[in-house]
Amino acid sequence: MKSRVREHGKTSLRRASTGISGFDELTGGGLPAGRVTVVLGDVGSGKTIFGMQALIAGARDFGEPGILVAFEERGQQVFENLHGFEWKIGAADQKKIGVVDAQLSQAVVHGGDFDIIGLLSMLSAKTKEMQAKRLLLDGLDVFLANLPDPLHARREVFRLREWLQENGATALITAKTGPDELRPVREYEFLQYMADCVVTLQHRVVGGTALRFLRVAKYRGADHSANEVPFSIGRRGIEVAPVHTTELRHAVSSERVSTGIERLDVMLAGGYYRGSSTLISGVPGTAKTTLATAFASAASNRKERTLLISFDESPEQIVRNVASVGIILAPHVKSGILKVCSLRSRAAGPEAHAARIRALLREHSAKNLVIDPISALAQAPADNLAEEAAIQILDLAKSQGITSVSTSLLGNRAAFSEETPIGISTVADTWMHLTYVNQGGERNRALTIIKSRGTGHSNQVRELILAASGVTLADVYSVDGEVLMGTLRWQREDEGRRADERAARDAGLREREAELALVETEARAQVIAGERAIREATLERIRVARQEEISQATANATELRRRRGADGSRRNSAKKVPRRSS
Amino acid sequence: MSPSVGMQKGALRIRLFIAGESPNSLAAQRNLQRVLKANPSLSAELEIVDVLKEPELGLRANVLVTPTLVKLTPPGERRIIGNLNDTGALVALLGVDHEP
Repeated sequence: MKSRVREHGKTSLRRASTGISGFDELTGGGLPAGRVTVVLGDVGSGKTIFGMQALIAGARDFGEPGILVAFEERGQQVFENLHGFEWKIGAADQKKIGVVDAQLSQAVVHGGDFDIIGLLSMLSAKTKEMQAKRLLLDGLDVFLANLPDPLHARREVFRLREWLQENGATALITAKTGPDELRPVREYEFLQYMADCVVTLQHRVVGGTALRFLRVAKYRGADHSANEVPFSIGRRGIEVAPVHTTELRHAVSSERVSTGIERLDVMLAGGYYRGSSTLISGVPGTAKTTLATAFASAASNRKERTLLISFDESPEQIVRNVASVGIILAPHVKSGILKVCSLRSRAAGPEAHAARIRALLREHSAKNLVIDPISALAQAPADNLAEEAAIQILDLAKSQGITSVSTSLLGNRAAFSEETPIGISTVADTWMHLTYVNQGGERNRALTIIKSRGTGHSNQVRELILAASGVTLADVYSVDGEVLMGTLRWQREDEGRRADERAARDAGLREREAELALVETEARAQVIAGERAIREATLERIRVARQEEISQATANATELRRRRGADGSRRNSAKKVPRRSS
Repeated sequence: MSPSVGMQKGALRIRLFIAGESPNSLAAQRNLQRVLKANPSLSAELEIVDVLKEPELGLRANVLVTPTLVKLTPPGERRIIGNLNDTGALVALLGVDHEP
């Protein structure tokens, strides 16, 4: 839970948490603490539930006792009406909520002008006694209707405002608006004026589906979005659609989890990232469900709690159908690790479906989520809400580290395009698209990975083959830029194999020839090296012999001169020799 | 306030809830006293509760607005809200024959 009071911006406006999922986020923490909030809405729009949820959250979770001033129904009745909700209050906590029944009986006789001074003084006493910090004035319009004219109503509303300001509790006033929901009756104009925060709740039926919207029309002293936000009323009470967070704070995991199809794991470098969201789009019959349930099966095999939401198809039907392609879910359903839930797409609005899925995820403590198909949310007429709801679910899953795989059906109109009816493809981390490809009189299923964040994936198309033994992907065979499948692929592959064998043989031959050539060359190189050695040796011998010859000749000449005469005449005689000869 | 003298019309016990000296509360007391005085045959036991001083009594009686006049007995509780300027309602509640 959030802290009860949160500092907000420069204004330091304190907030009182309502405990209403989504509302506190929308308003930066909840209601303005110690101030007046008015909740306006038509009959059955959820005003009292909103108020009681905030009152009970205060008493039970934030140590703020409260008082219910019940103008419309008796207080006891108001509490009894909450029995269907998960957050109904225990006996101990109920003591922290005082009840003041403030219904004016229809039988009461009007005998002139009256005021609420007495009531306010009684409330003051009760507030003091209970140390109340929150105050719910439920159905103020019912009281105001007793006043003879708008002037009196206005006077009492101003009296109430003065008292509330003095009282200092966080006050919540609910009031019905007229049938013309957008234009409240005159009394409420003062109400809106005196309030620091105005919340309107609307309940519209669009194409047979009930849709609820909440709007923070006014929030004094704080920035707020005044846009309509869808909400639902489920077992947890009011749940307001979470605001889109502009900053993404999902913890990123680098762990891979199997897709349930071995070859697909290879294509995705190991599988889906844990905590990521995957979208599988395609026309009917392209095996989207098969791919999605393969993941559910693999997750269950890993003993991870998994939730499979199926729109408009019963759990038994799904389990039986995918068993025919070797995906066996029944034991996992039996063991309880896999929960298969069927929802009827048209039974509720997108936001109500989203709330239901959120609740189921929580109840099942799911680690993995499969929604088949998520495009069913768009069955309801408000398809812009469907997109919101779908993004919410995927966002929630991501934020909780839940790995999700959703399928998306494409209508016939967009049969072969890759445009999903719901713009969640931008939110999805991995997007795979399935198509039929007609070739040579066959229809084959083709799978393309359009994107996969953080993964080096194959951009090529694969053929998806379903067999009783299981699901696999076949290698692509592309020729002239076209991917071949089915029998054509087989033929081409066969031809290819033979060609490859020939090529292999040829290559072997060429290799051996080359080897031989190399050996030959090496041998020749050896012979030549030998020749070279011989020639070098011969040359050396010649040089040595010649040197010896020269030395011998010199020695002989010296000996001759010594024998002929004196040593000193050697130079003269030597000089004389050339002169004589010339 | 004034003890009942007889039981011919059944014991009449009435309680008026007021909020201090606010104009409506003062007016209600004035109007009630005037009607009672104008009908001396009426034996009524009147109790005045100021919810500013005794809020508990007001809460217990489920008093939402002031002034509120409650007829306690004879059985069959009836209430009038307002300053009792509309004496017709008061006369009807008290069961007296005529207005003052």
